[in-house]
Amino acid sequence: MGAILLRRLASAVPILAIVSILTFGMIHLIPGDPAAAIAGLSATPEQIANIRRDLGLDQPLMSQLIHWYGNLFQGDLGRSLLLGQPVVEATMQRLPVTVALSAYALVITLVIGLVTGIVAALRQNTWIDQVAMILAMIGISLPNFYLGLLMIILFAVQLRWLPTGGYVAFTDDPLGWLATSTMPAISLALLLAGLLARITRSTMLEVLRQDYIRTARAKGLPSRKVVVKHALANAMIPITTVIGIIVSLLISGSVVTETLFSIPGIGQLLTQAVLNRDYPMVQGGLLITTALLVLVNIAVDVCYALLDPRVRYDGA
Amino acid sequence: MRRGFLTSAGVLAGLILAVGPANAERFKCPHTGGNLVFGQEANINTLDQMTSATISTRNIAMNIYESLMTRDENNHPILELADSMTESPDHLTYTFKLRKPIHFHNGKLMTSADVVASFDRYAKVGNQRSILNNVKDWDAPDADTFVIHMKSPQPTFIEALSSFSVPIVIIPSELKDTPAQQLTNPIGTGPFQLVESVPGSHVKLKRYEGYSPNTSFNERTGFGGYKQACLDTVTFRIVTEPGARVAGLRTGELQGVEDLPAKSLPDLKGDKNIKILPLKNWWIQIASPNTSTAPTDNLMFRKAVQAALDMDEIMDAASDGNYTLNVGFQYPNQPDYTDAGKETYNIKDPALAKKYLAQSGYAGEPVVLLTNKDYPPMYNSALVMQQQLQAVGINAQMKVVDWPTSVQLSQKEGPGWNFFFTGWGTQPALGALATMQFLASPNATYRPKDDKGDPDLEAAWKDMNTLPTAEGRHEAFARMQKIVLERVYALPFGSFTKVQGVRANVDGFVPYRIPRMSNVWMTN
Repeated sequence: MGAILLRRLASAVPILAIVSILTFGMIHLIPGDPAAAIAGLSATPEQIANIRRDLGLDQPLMSQLIHWYGNLFQGDLGRSLLLGQPVVEATMQRLPVTVALSAYALVITLVIGLVTGIVAALRQNTWIDQVAMILAMIGISLPNFYLGLLMIILFAVQLRWLPTGGYVAFTDDPLGWLATSTMPAISLALLLAGLLARITRSTMLEVLRQDYIRTARAKGLPSRKVVVKHALANAMIPITTVIGIIVSLLISGSVVTETLFSIPGIGQLLTQAVLNRDYPMVQGGLLITTALLVLVNIAVDVCYALLDPRVRYDGA
Repeated sequence: MRRGFLTSAGVLAGLILAVGPANAERFKCPHTGGNLVFGQEANINTLDQMTSATISTRNIAMNIYESLMTRDENNHPILELADSMTESPDHLTYTFKLRKPIHFHNGKLMTSADVVASFDRYAKVGNQRSILNNVKDWDAPDADTFVIHMKSPQPTFIEALSSFSVPIVIIPSELKDTPAQQLTNPIGTGPFQLVESVPGSHVKLKRYEGYSPNTSFNERTGFGGYKQACLDTVTFRIVTEPGARVAGLRTGELQGVEDLPAKSLPDLKGDKNIKILPLKNWWIQIASPNTSTAPTDNLMFRKAVQAALDMDEIMDAASDGNYTLNVGFQYPNQPDYTDAGKETYNIKDPALAKKYLAQSGYAGEPVVLLTNKDYPPMYNSALVMQQQLQAVGINAQMKVVDWPTSVQLSQKEGPGWNFFFTGWGTQPALGALATMQFLASPNATYRPKDDKGDPDLEAAWKDMNTLPTAEGRHEAFARMQKIVLERVYALPFGSFTKVQGVRANVDGFVPYRIPRMSNVWMTN
C-alpha cells in the first residue's frame, strides 16, 4: 500500500510542473488587459496606466515568468492583482467553502445515485426502474443554474423555508451552514446523482448476471446478503472510479452554483480571476486545485487497493 | 443649510456655497437600530479606496472614509473634514483648517499629520495621482492646519481635489506606507466602521459611535453634509445574479439592492413591501470611433454613421427601456450641461446617411463594431447599431470579445476595429472636466493617428483647464462638445437609468452614485 501511495505521489510532481507551465502560457496568450479589468468600467486611461505600472504588468513577459517561477520555488505563489492578497491566502480562504459544499453534494449524490441505481437494477424493467431512470435522465438534463433558480423561487420566495443565497461557515453556525448550503448542494448533486444512478444500475446488472451471484443464490443466501456482500462489493470498483470523477466534477463544477447562490468558493474566485486576467491568481489557484484533484485521484487509487486485493498485489 | 466656509481672495466663482434656511432643523434619526443587508451586484476587489476606481469599492468604502473635500447632492465641491479653506490671492496656496475633534475608527485623534501622511500615500500609490501633478508640496504648520502649495495657479484644482472618483481619503498616519491595494483593514473617520470583510461574500459595517458629524450642515448632501448612522449594522452582500437579488428583496433577506433588472420591475411595482427607486443618468452609453483607420478616418463616413442612427432604438435595446435621450456628455440637471451640437444627435435619416456615404467614397469595406457580452447593454447597442448601419449599406460586422480584451484592443491605433462600445458612468457625474479628459490627448478615445489630437479640440480642452473664470471654462466645454459631436469623435447614445430598490420599512435611502447608508433608518 505504501509503495502505491509513494508511486502515485511521485507521479503528481510532473503533472503539477506541466500544469504550471500550461497555465502560465495559456493565461498570457489570452488577449485582454488586466489593468483595464481591475480599473473597472469608465476608468480613465491614466487610472489604467497607473494600475499597470503599480502591478508590474508593464514588465516583459519573460521577466514576469522568471519572477513567478523564482517565487514558486520558494513556496510563494504571488499576490492576486485583483484582490491585493497573497494567492495562497485567498485560495485557502475559499477552498474550505468549496470543499464543504462539495462534500455535502457528494453525500447527496451518493445516497440518491447509489440507492436509485441499485433499486432500478434489482427491479429491472418494472415501473420502478422506468421511473428511476426517467428521474435520472431529468437530473442529468436539467442545467444546475436553472434548477437553482427554480429552487430559489420555490423554497426561498414561495415557501420561505431556505435563504435565497449567502453562506454561513459550518464552524460559525452548523444550522446556518445547512440552511445556506442545502439548495446549492442539491442543485450540484442532482446532475451527478443521475449519472451515478445510471452507471450503478448498469454495473449492478452486469454483476448480477455473473456466475458467482447465481451460485450465491443457489446456495440459498438471503437476497439482501447477495446484493450487499457479493454484488455491490464487486460493483463498487467501477463505481469508485465514477465517484472519483464526480468529486472532480463537483469541485470544478461549483462555479455556476457559487455565483447563483453568492457563495464565496474557489469556483467563483477562479472565474473572476480568469475574467479579469488576474494572472497570479489563475496560475496559483489552478496549481492548488490541480494538487487537490491529484490527491482525490490518489485517494481513489488507494480505495481500489482496499476494495480489490489484486491491485494491492500488482502494486507490491 | 451651509454656512460659508470656502473663502478666497482669488477666484472661487466655480464653487457654490450652498446656504440653506437658517432655521432649518438638523437631521435626527427617527429610529435608531436595525441591521440592513444590501445586495451589491459586483464583487469587491479591495477596500483600499485610494487605489481603486471601481464603483464596487466606492459603494462600501465611501461609508467608511472621508476626505478634506467632497461633492454635494448637486455635485458642487464642499468641505468635509475641513472646517474652512482659504485660497491665497496669487492662487498658489490653499490653507485648510481641520474640523475638530475628529477621531478615527481606532480612537486616534485626527490631526494635520494624518492629512499629510494621506497625501503622501496618495502621491505614491493613489490611482489618480495626477490630481497632484501641479502641486509643489504640502505641509502642516500646526495640528489643525494643512497647506497645499501649487507650482502654478490651477483654476480647476478644487474641482479635482473634491472628486469622488478616487478620492484622497484621510487615513491614520501609521498606515501611510501600506502598499497599494493592501490596506485590508480600512480605518477612516466616516459614520460606519468595518466589522468584517469576507472576500466574495460580504462586507459588514457597524455604526461608529465616536463619529463627529459635520455641523456646518443640517442634512446629508452628496457624499458629505451632516451624516448620522441610524442603523446598527450594514452588510453589503455580493449578489451578482440579478434573479437572486430580486428574490432576496422579495423575501426580505435583503433590505436594499442595486440594479434591479428591468424585466422584474412590473412584478415588483405591485409589491407593497418594496419601494422602487430609479436613479436617472447612471451612465452614458457610447461608441468611440477609431479615426486612425479606414473607413472611420474619413469624416464624411463618420457623419454617415451618425446620420443613420436611431438612438431610441439603440437605447431601448440596450437598457430594456430604462433610458433617457441625452445630447452630449453632461445631463440636463448638471451645472455644466450644454446641448451644443444637438443638431448632430439622433438624426435617424437613412437618406442623408446614404448621401454622406456616397460623398465619403465608401466602397463596402468591413466596419468592425468592437463590443463585449460582459456588459449586455454594450453588446445590445452594438447589435442594433449594426442593423441600422447595414440598412444604409454599410458592411457592419460585430467583433465580440470579453471586456478586458475589448479595452486592450481599443487602446491600439490602426486596423482591427472601427467603433468601440463602452459606458461612461462616474466621470460624467463628476462634471465636464472629468468627462472630457477621455477625449483629450494623450490616449484620446477616438484614437487619432500617432496620438495627435485634433488641434481645435485640444485648444478647447486647454481652455477648459486654464481659463480663470467658470463662465470661460464652461464656454470652452461647450465648444469642445460641439467639435466632438460635429466631427463625430464620439457617438453618445443616451443615458441609462439604474433602478435600485428597498423594502418599504427602509426610509431615508435616496439613490445616488453609491448606496449612502448614513441618514437611513428602518422601521419595524
